[in-house]
Amino acid sequence: MSEVIPQNAGYMVAAYIVTAIIVLAYAASLYRRTRGR
Amino acid sequence: MTLASRGRAVTLVALLLLVGVYVRALAFTPLERFQGAAQKIFYLHVPAAWSAMLAMALVGLASVLYLLVKDPRYDRFAAASAEVGTAFCVVMLTTGPLWARPVWGTWWAWDARLTLTLFLFFLYIGYLLLRQAVPDPGVRARYSAVLGICGTVLLPFIHLSVYLFRTLHPQPIVLKPSAPSLPGVMLVTLLYSFGVFTLLYIGFVMQRYAVGEEGSHV
Repeated sequence: MSEVIPQNAGYMVAAYIVTAIIVLAYAASLYRRTRGR
Repeated sequence: MTLASRGRAVTLVALLLLVGVYVRALAFTPLERFQGAAQKIFYLHVPAAWSAMLAMALVGLASVLYLLVKDPRYDRFAAASAEVGTAFCVVMLTTGPLWARPVWGTWWAWDARLTLTLFLFFLYIGYLLLRQAVPDPGVRARYSAVLGICGTVLLPFIHLSVYLFRTLHPQPIVLKPSAPSLPGVMLVTLLYSFGVFTLLYIGFVMQRYAVGEEGSHV
C-alpha cells in the first residue's frame, strides 16, 4: 500500500511569503533610516 | 565607508543568499513523508528562532558589559540587537503557527515552549517601549540593561522547556548533545539557512547601530 503525503503546501507558501514580507519590510525600514549616512 | 553603508552591503548579500535558501529548500530538498510540504517551514522557522535567541543573548551580554564599564556603545548595541531580535521573533511567531496548524491540528497550544517564546516576544516589546519611555540616556541605559539581562535568563528555560515539560513542540534536532537527527541533505539546507539568518542579523544590527550612533550625537 502506497503512503499518502499530506497535501498542505498552502501553509508552506504562506510561511515563505510572510517571512519574505517581514524581512524585506524591516530591511527597507533600515535602509530608509540610514539613507544618506 | 561608513558603518551604515557596510551594514547595507552585508544585508544585501544576506538577502541574495536568502533567495538561495528559498530555492534550495523549495526545489532541492526532499519532502518529509509524514508532514508533507509544511515541514519545509522548518528551514525558516528554526533559523529565525536561532536569530531571535542569539539577539537576546547578545542584548544580555552587552547589558552586563554596560553595567560594568558604563560605555554607551554597549547600550547602543543592546538597543540595536533588541530591535533586530524583535523582527526575527515576529518571523518565528508567524511561521510557527503556520507549521503547527497542518501538523498538530491547531494554530497554537499554551504549552511551556510556545508560552515562554511568546513571553520572550513580550520582553522584546517591553524593552523597546522602556527605551522610548525614559528620556534620560543614563537612566534609560541602566533600566534597559536590567531588563535585557532578565530576557537572557529566559533563554535556557526556552531551550530546555521541551525536556522539562510535556509539550507538543518537538525536541531539538541539531542543538543537542548527540549528533543531529536529520538526513544529510536536509541538514545542509538547515545549516545554510542558519548561516544566512546569522548574516542577516549582523547586517541589520550594523545598520541599526548606525542609526543609534547618529541619534546619540543629536
